[in-house]
Amino acid sequence: MRHARFTEAIRAFFQGRGYAEVDTPALSPHLIPEPAIEVFQTEYFPERGPARPMWLIPSPELWMKRLLAEGAGDIYQISKSFRNCDFGGPYHNPEFRLLEWYTVGAGYLDSVGVTEDLFSHLLARTAPSRPGEELSPPFLRMSMEEAFHLYADIDLARCQDPLSMKAEAQGKGILIQGSPTWEEAFHIVFLTLVEPRLPRQKPLVLFDYPALVPTTARRRPGTPWSERWELYVDGVEIANCYTEETEPGVLRSFVRHEEERRGRCRTAHASDPDFADLFPSGFPECSGAALGVDRLEMVFAGEKSLEGVILFPFSAILGGQSGRRVKGIT
Amino acid sequence: MIKASDIAKGTFILINNQPHVCTEREYVNPGKGSAFVRLKLKNIKSGSVLRQTNKVQDNLEDVSVEYKEVQFLYADSENYAFMDTKTYDQFNIPIEGEEEKRDFLKDGDNYQVVFWEQTPIDIKLPTKMVFTVSEAEKAERGDTVSGATKVITCETGLKVKVPLFIKQGDRILVNTETREYQERVNA
Repeated sequence: MRHARFTEAIRAFFQGRGYAEVDTPALSPHLIPEPAIEVFQTEYFPERGPARPMWLIPSPELWMKRLLAEGAGDIYQISKSFRNCDFGGPYHNPEFRLLEWYTVGAGYLDSVGVTEDLFSHLLARTAPSRPGEELSPPFLRMSMEEAFHLYADIDLARCQDPLSMKAEAQGKGILIQGSPTWEEAFHIVFLTLVEPRLPRQKPLVLFDYPALVPTTARRRPGTPWSERWELYVDGVEIANCYTEETEPGVLRSFVRHEEERRGRCRTAHASDPDFADLFPSGFPECSGAALGVDRLEMVFAGEKSLEGVILFPFSAILGGQSGRRVKGIT
Repeated sequence: MIKASDIAKGTFILINNQPHVCTEREYVNPGKGSAFVRLKLKNIKSGSVLRQTNKVQDNLEDVSVEYKEVQFLYADSENYAFMDTKTYDQFNIPIEGEEEKRDFLKDGDNYQVVFWEQTPIDIKLPTKMVFTVSEAEKAERGDTVSGATKVITCETGLKVKVPLFIKQGDRILVNTETREYQERVNA
């Protein structure tokens, strides 16, 4: 079974490198402090008292960070994760497999090397349905600043407030409604002009994201960039990686900023009230990466849609069909 | 107004007072922050293509259009010729930019055409249509377990990959969006 061979190969890779596999909750009374993510809500009926709202995790990050704070060391897991309110398309399934791993003492660029080694390992173990050199390391590397220069002719380092970003976008003929935040204007330019033009002949590591896009990635000292990269294969985003921020003050301000965005999505969820408190207690310097396993399997299989690798795609089971496009289970 | 998240392939919207039809639409969630819809829009008048990204909650101006039942008459080198089945008026739609629809237009069959301010702007194809196989090579003996296929030609010139058992004269159901064979529909 290809599915099983793929996950077995991923497990063998991380176990061979001394990472401990962990298994954390998929159903949780609170989630990571990122209210913009659309999630699935349900209820738990306790023996006494009112029903408690519960959520399916959009990623296992929160629970894995709790383990890191307790001194778990290098850890990984392949978890089922859930994102609600998808609008279709070939690369989204509301329920998906997410590989997340944390390497203690490592930075974001160290994780590029781990990911390249993972690809080499999978190429050797899983017999991909496409020429191996299209996926094999070394990956291409490009900074976000360079990508904006090349494909949008915008100097990102000098474009650090919402008005100048909106003006730059309009100068390129891009329509932006209302008063966008810097982050929204950045994403509109990125998604319209930059991302569709990123090179595709090899996997691409797009690194050093603007620090103005709030995440838990550490800021590269003295620069407007975050220590963050995303991996693109065939133009599809496959993985996201940070050097994790460990400074409690910075994380508290991240949580505050995210809380201000509450109410913009359909299902507001409870954020972990203790999230920022994980960090004063000796949270280790580390790099964390999250990789969509279904998407990875899709590009290794040379498929153009997740439906080519998921046994029962969500859209099909919702339509009352078995939805089997994957032939057999092999 | 129409929400960006409700725009689909084939939706008509007004950009800078120009009618556009959405030809591609992709939902994108860049990992962090809000979700976006990436659109490829074709200006109905000029044919020029516009790429645009909107937040899913953005509102855009939709275009009010009229659907009419029409009969496909023929195609020449430049135009598709249709006739309004109620008024019997004949009109043309330029082939340029709509070449791929040629394979799905059968002489004498009825279709829906979209009108904007009295101008025909789009031909709507049913999602699934029945075609007659006009040319098919005899089935080669093959590995039928793995679902071997061959390519046949239909009466409109449409080429479709089908199972080996399909033969000339068979009627088959085809998905007009994916151009994929669905099933044999012989009575």
